[in-house]
Amino acid sequence: MGKTSGAARDAAEPGLRSSPRGGINAAARDGTTLILLFILFVLPLVVLLVSSLASVWTFPRLLPESLSGRTYMYAVSQGREIFASLLSSAGYSLLTVAAVFFMTLLPARALARWDFPGKHLLDALLLVPVLLPAMTFSMGIHVIFIRTGVSDTLAGIVLVLSIYSYPYMLRALISAYMRISEQYSVTARNLGGGFFYTLLHVEVPMLLPGIAAGASVVFLVAFGEYFLVFLIGGGAVDSYTGYLFPFLQGSDHQTASLLTLIFLFVPLLLFFLMEWTTSSIYRKRGLEA
Amino acid sequence: MIRTRTGSLILHLMPILIPFAALFMTGIIITVLQSFGIGFALPEGTGFLSAYREVFQSPFFLASVRHSLWIGLVSASVSVMTGMFLALLIWNTTSRVKKYSVVYKIPLILPHITVAFIVIIIFSQSGLLASLAYQAGLLSEPADFPNLFYNKTGTGIILSYIWKEVPFATLMVLSVLQKLDIRYIQTGTMLGAGFFRKFRHLILPHIAPAVHTTFIILFLYSFGAFDIPFLVGESSPRMLSITVFNLYFRAQLSSRPQAMAILTMMFLFSMIFITLYTRAVTAVNPKARRI
Repeated sequence: MGKTSGAARDAAEPGLRSSPRGGINAAARDGTTLILLFILFVLPLVVLLVSSLASVWTFPRLLPESLSGRTYMYAVSQGREIFASLLSSAGYSLLTVAAVFFMTLLPARALARWDFPGKHLLDALLLVPVLLPAMTFSMGIHVIFIRTGVSDTLAGIVLVLSIYSYPYMLRALISAYMRISEQYSVTARNLGGGFFYTLLHVEVPMLLPGIAAGASVVFLVAFGEYFLVFLIGGGAVDSYTGYLFPFLQGSDHQTASLLTLIFLFVPLLLFFLMEWTTSSIYRKRGLEA
Repeated sequence: MIRTRTGSLILHLMPILIPFAALFMTGIIITVLQSFGIGFALPEGTGFLSAYREVFQSPFFLASVRHSLWIGLVSASVSVMTGMFLALLIWNTTSRVKKYSVVYKIPLILPHITVAFIVIIIFSQSGLLASLAYQAGLLSEPADFPNLFYNKTGTGIILSYIWKEVPFATLMVLSVLQKLDIRYIQTGTMLGAGFFRKFRHLILPHIAPAVHTTFIILFLYSFGAFDIPFLVGESSPRMLSITVFNLYFRAQLSSRPQAMAILTMMFLFSMIFITLYTRAVTAVNPKARRI
């Protein structure tokens, strides 16, 4: 595969009008694109921030009548509950990431490296849980869980979220496996490394970018899911989406705005942590991320 | 240790095949069985297909189907188009600016229920846009602003899906655009091709498979998902997911098979949709097969 190096790619700006003459044009294009993106995706967050700072903000005011720290005081007074539900959500989401990783590592290895009859069908079939409306299988799973006593438990939530989100990890791992040469594993085995040793010490480190990509999507899906957690957890397991829901439905938009902003904070924190760990692992091993 | 190839393959696939069969397939089988009334203590004389009969006799069912299809179709189409447009814009920016363009991913982080909330504070009758229209002298009271949330077209739900789904479409298209060898475009430019010609003959064929996959995912998601319509809480017509929820949890026990019958039909519809759509795409362009 002829990979263009990063530097070469930066030098030749990818784009439709990639001629070198586009100086002012390019600046104008950059500017419009950024403004559009900020209006579409950042402005709503600014609205949330202003709303969280308002004492009240009603029609037809464009800005709140007055500012207050009311919602923040409330969040602090409810700190324990907010923190507990965030922690619980982060906990089952991380467990889901781990479960999904173990479910898909070896299957991805097989699907990426070997050809076997029925491979395409299996490939397509394993993608189905992400395409189907989640209700179609989760209501049945709910029945199984009630019969087996897994309903209303952490394990139940992790299982149902894993079934719902593993295709993202499987996809990421398959393409990560396709990017690394099988020769590394063969060499490691020839040098006397066992199967699991090779898997853990040779393959997994090279798969890290793919794992990180898959893990972020799975985490986000699990962390933001309301229905499945509500159906299988039945309120017995705390979740931030469950905590948040009545606020979002209620009339106190100011508090709901703040609680939504708090939601954003956890994934962002985890992403920075992950960026930092993967890059430091790579640096330690002298690999280029 | 099993040394044969087949044995090794089976061992490799076990970790996914076991949960897939035990939870996913069994889940669907239970849904189907319950739709036939199996597993419930139903009154004597209820037939095998009575749940289906009752569903079709209900005046709300067809309205519900139409409503879900409409919302799925509109939100997926608009999201895919907009996502394609934004991906092209971002792809065309210089690297100096590109790092700031990641802000488009914000709605990907936010859960669906909060997205619906954000759309409510902006687009409701007493929301920010209504205030803006008032200040501009376009209306004198909230009721003058169109009611987007409790109308028949489900505009509020559609807007929520669009804001959540556009970044997904952008991400999908952008990731294949970045793999497009830029020399094709340069050659096109050198040979005098204009924007539309390059788009039609170079870019579109390249991104088409990603666009189709994205459309399938987004259409089926907005068609059958629960979170956003549940938060918005519209009354009539209801989306199928809400109808199912109400039949299963809020009505008497004997209407549970009806909920499962609707889910079974949603499952069949989704499978048929995936198959037909993939076929249609393959028929037009054999290279775009992979989903």
